[in-house]
Amino acid sequence: MFVARSIAADHKDLIHDVSYDFHGRRMATCSSDQSIKVWDKGGNGEWTCTASWKTHSGSVWRVTWAHPEFGQVLASCSFDRTAIVWEEIVGESNDKQRGQSHWVKETTLVDSRTSVTDVKFAPKHMGLMLTTCSADGVVRIYEAPDVMNLSQWSLQHEISSKLSCSCISWNPSSSRAHAPMIAVGSDDSNVTYGGKVQIYEYNEVTRKYAKAETLMTVADAVHDIAFAPNLGRSFHVLAIATKDVRIFKLVPLQKDSSSSAPTKFEVQVLAQFDSHNSQVWRVSWNITSTLLASSGDDGCVRLWKANYMDNWKCTGILKGYGSQVSGQPGALSGVLGSATAQSALNGATGR
Amino acid sequence: MEKMTRVSGTVSGCTMFCHLDAPANAISVCRDATQVVVAGRNIFKIYGLEEDGFVERLNLRVGRKPSLNFSCADVMWHQMEENLLATAATNGAVVTWNLARPCRNKQEQLFTEHKRTVNKVCFHPTEVNMLLSGSQDGFMKCFDLRKKESVSTFSGQSESVRDVQFSIKDYFTFAASFENGNVQLWDIRRPDRYERMFTAHTGPVFCCDWHPEDRGWLATGGRDKMVKVWDMSTNRVKEIYCVQTIASVARVKWRPERRYHLATCSMMVDHNIYVWDVRRPFIPFATFEEHKDVTTGIVWRHQHDPYFLLSGSKDSTLYQHMFKDASRPVDRANPEGLCFGLFGDLAFAAKESLMSAPQSVGDVGRKTYPGGDRRYPIFFFKKPDVTEQFAQVSSALSVFESEAGSSVGMDWFINTAQSYLLSGKPFAELCEHNAQVAKRLNRPQESTTWTMLRIMFSEPANPSLSSNHNLNKSGNLPLVNSVAFDHKTFTFTLFLAARKSLQTVYEDVFLCAENEETEGSEGQAEYLFGDAELDDDDLYSMEHDNQAEEPEYLLPQEAFPLRHEIMDHPSAPEPVQEKPESPHVSGSEAESTCLTPMESFSLISVSQLLFSPHLPPKFFCPIVKEMLCYYAEQGDVQMAVSVLIVLGDRIRKEIDELTQEHWYMSYIDLLQRFELWNVSNEVIKLSTCGAIMCLNQTSTTLHINCSNCKRPMSNKGWICDRCHQCASVCAVCHHVVKGLFVWCQGCSHGGHLEHVMEWLKQSKHCPAGCGHLCEYT
Repeated sequence: MFVARSIAADHKDLIHDVSYDFHGRRMATCSSDQSIKVWDKGGNGEWTCTASWKTHSGSVWRVTWAHPEFGQVLASCSFDRTAIVWEEIVGESNDKQRGQSHWVKETTLVDSRTSVTDVKFAPKHMGLMLTTCSADGVVRIYEAPDVMNLSQWSLQHEISSKLSCSCISWNPSSSRAHAPMIAVGSDDSNVTYGGKVQIYEYNEVTRKYAKAETLMTVADAVHDIAFAPNLGRSFHVLAIATKDVRIFKLVPLQKDSSSSAPTKFEVQVLAQFDSHNSQVWRVSWNITSTLLASSGDDGCVRLWKANYMDNWKCTGILKGYGSQVSGQPGALSGVLGSATAQSALNGATGR
Repeated sequence: MEKMTRVSGTVSGCTMFCHLDAPANAISVCRDATQVVVAGRNIFKIYGLEEDGFVERLNLRVGRKPSLNFSCADVMWHQMEENLLATAATNGAVVTWNLARPCRNKQEQLFTEHKRTVNKVCFHPTEVNMLLSGSQDGFMKCFDLRKKESVSTFSGQSESVRDVQFSIKDYFTFAASFENGNVQLWDIRRPDRYERMFTAHTGPVFCCDWHPEDRGWLATGGRDKMVKVWDMSTNRVKEIYCVQTIASVARVKWRPERRYHLATCSMMVDHNIYVWDVRRPFIPFATFEEHKDVTTGIVWRHQHDPYFLLSGSKDSTLYQHMFKDASRPVDRANPEGLCFGLFGDLAFAAKESLMSAPQSVGDVGRKTYPGGDRRYPIFFFKKPDVTEQFAQVSSALSVFESEAGSSVGMDWFINTAQSYLLSGKPFAELCEHNAQVAKRLNRPQESTTWTMLRIMFSEPANPSLSSNHNLNKSGNLPLVNSVAFDHKTFTFTLFLAARKSLQTVYEDVFLCAENEETEGSEGQAEYLFGDAELDDDDLYSMEHDNQAEEPEYLLPQEAFPLRHEIMDHPSAPEPVQEKPESPHVSGSEAESTCLTPMESFSLISVSQLLFSPHLPPKFFCPIVKEMLCYYAEQGDVQMAVSVLIVLGDRIRKEIDELTQEHWYMSYIDLLQRFELWNVSNEVIKLSTCGAIMCLNQTSTTLHINCSNCKRPMSNKGWICDRCHQCASVCAVCHHVVKGLFVWCQGCSHGGHLEHVMEWLKQSKHCPAGCGHLCEYT
């Protein structure tokens, strides 16, 4: 079902994030080596690095694309306490860098006093808005009032979550029935601090974000969080990477429109999997939100899918590099493995 | 190792702190690691280091009105003479203190030779009486403590001196760092000229530190946020490591017993203390985050103990940090990245050690030998050191591409979007066409739905359409016909079921379909749960070819008793409900063997007769609404919107405006993601929601320049007001363009799309010969 293609990323340290653009033809990677690389897919399916530049003075935790309506725009966030908005400028590159596109720093957001752990653009219908969260528990929402001028951003909201934040996700629903909503995950490992996933909702009356829900059952450190693409649903589906993979369904309960209280949700756990046997680091939905991918400390990607009974099942295990694909025999055909499996001894005798 | 065991016996304690009266500027420990001196503008105290806290031992700041000599920029405790301290005062004085003096004032000697603030004092590591100072005035002075004056003065000929450090291994050498970015090496015997000079940083070099073991390794830190490690042992000074930190580096100290580790702190912005492994210059190995204001002084408590670090800060606290309590940023750093692409491909980056971990999923059950691989003698196998593991790290990036035609891919979506007909033909034909499309794309459930819709909503007043249709085709009984046939029965089931509870039975039908699958042959069960099969559709398109009995009871099921059976036993009689699955019986053989054209025809007409007089299409609206919601909630908004458009007024009023708008928006967004602009525009055009229809009414103005005179055109056609020429002349064939006209926004020249494309294959320049390098976007 999948063919693995190994890419020589040539980052000097860990890669922390991979992100596809809106149309799925470009990819950005960011690494602790303080650089971002942009990859473009050629006609033969080959990915080539078209830009690589030093971005921050610390580990770059996340990189994310803006909607292409706003141009070719990336945002990154870093251990150096800043988030930066980048824009690709076409046609101004000098000749010696032919073939390399030219990314310009549009703005640096320096409000955080600690490491900025995640950065996400809001759904397009809200305009050009950017959200950051930081290790000191503050979620900041910025807006570019003029979409043609990416160097002007104003801080619109500051939400204090009281817990060290590790990840945020916007509810992608464009329905007018759904108020703008962000889920915030915390990697605070202290179980006694309660729920590590908080959901904030914009209130039209007070013009502020207010906490709508805390998922109290998620008490362990959360590493990643992702709303499923909404696609016309009346409810929301949220995937959480913590010590296991969890999928929540949030059904908005009817509220009378006059009240300024945040929406109440009926929260259902759709699934919970601990098959990674370890910390789960990432979750990602496919575009139709029928398939969830998760990756954990076991180095595997697992794919999850619901059948028509809403029973979620593992439908595949992918291993990209170094070792054999496991799982059901014959299920995943021809996953390549560049056979450079490191012997366990390398680490020990390498000195 | 010996040293360490000796040390761990003597140094113990915990993470602890104490409040000082005033901000600290510098700290220093005595050789046996039992006391620490804290010096600042308004503080000069000695604290004892107890097991569980700091104890104030001595206040050196005495006198009613302390002189400026007490205002310390730096302090150093002599490493050989345990009663001897030196301070650098902000007024330029260098003072030595002798704790053995009997009186309260411990001041021993005072050198007032510097004109400006002294930034640094340094005792010689082995020569008891030698003291070195570096000052803001650009001079370094060497003092012999037995004399009243300096013995030699070194002029850096550069700017202010920020740090001076005696080499630990070379008796005569010291290093000095300067505000202009230079580092100089001096021989203590030759005050006339430095031995070496090199530019280490851009901007001031705030600090330097000699490696305690590696001869010639010097670490420097500067305002440019970098820590660099230089190898001085070669002819050319070589930068061997460079660590980029997030703020200017104010202090740097090599960690004892750890060859590649050093600690840094900043005097700007950042309050944390970082310990770096210089081989991995991007992520701190450990971080101490206790201080609330900038850290001004750091010192390892004992020169052979790597676990205790002392620090003083502007927040007026003195801390002892335990290494085991440090936070490890790398533990919180995400070792993996994962993202689903638009086309179902999956990008995955992970730490290589995770990917090549020996216990892959398949191996979990396998027994591992204690001590690792049998191929190697057990004494070779040693658990890798934590610090070694830390330094060797990299990530592997791979993309899992969904194979062509695989169910993970999104080809079906694009194909469907492009092939569906949403308008322009009679309703029944649209349904028919779309059912065919869905079938071709191997999406039987959708195909079924279209067929059902056709039957439900075809004009009952005009039965001739469908019967004609059947008649026409009954001769050779094609697949379509059998689909129609079976799904009438399905509809029929629904209709009957609707009497008791529409919804539950609708679900029952699906339930039953599931039962059939799960109770099927073993191979199928495995297929469902064991296999990595992803496609929803396949759940419904189970291959029934092998089930020979199916065709046999196909015919009897269609007989009239069916109705009575259901009525008598409303609890979902199984044989009927298996019907919805039967269209997937590979039609040709089933039909040709079991159904004669005549029978088929009669059955169809009868079943139509059965309900058509009684059931207006409106009757089905709740079911269809239910179905649309079902598709939407399953993530197939394409189906929901397509049906909505094709059904048009038949269903529109049943579904509230907001939901419709939401579906349209979601579908349009998806189409635009796949760059299906034409389909997207068609959907917008066909939608009935006000909010959607206006989507393609905005930004429809084009501003163009005349290709002849380059002036902006007025908005009246293609004849330029000024030069009275037609502006839309093809630059390639020189004819007036009718239809698609493309032009370069830079030079306004353009022409027929195909001509310009042809031209651009050969030349980048404008076909009009204006010399412009045209860009078409």
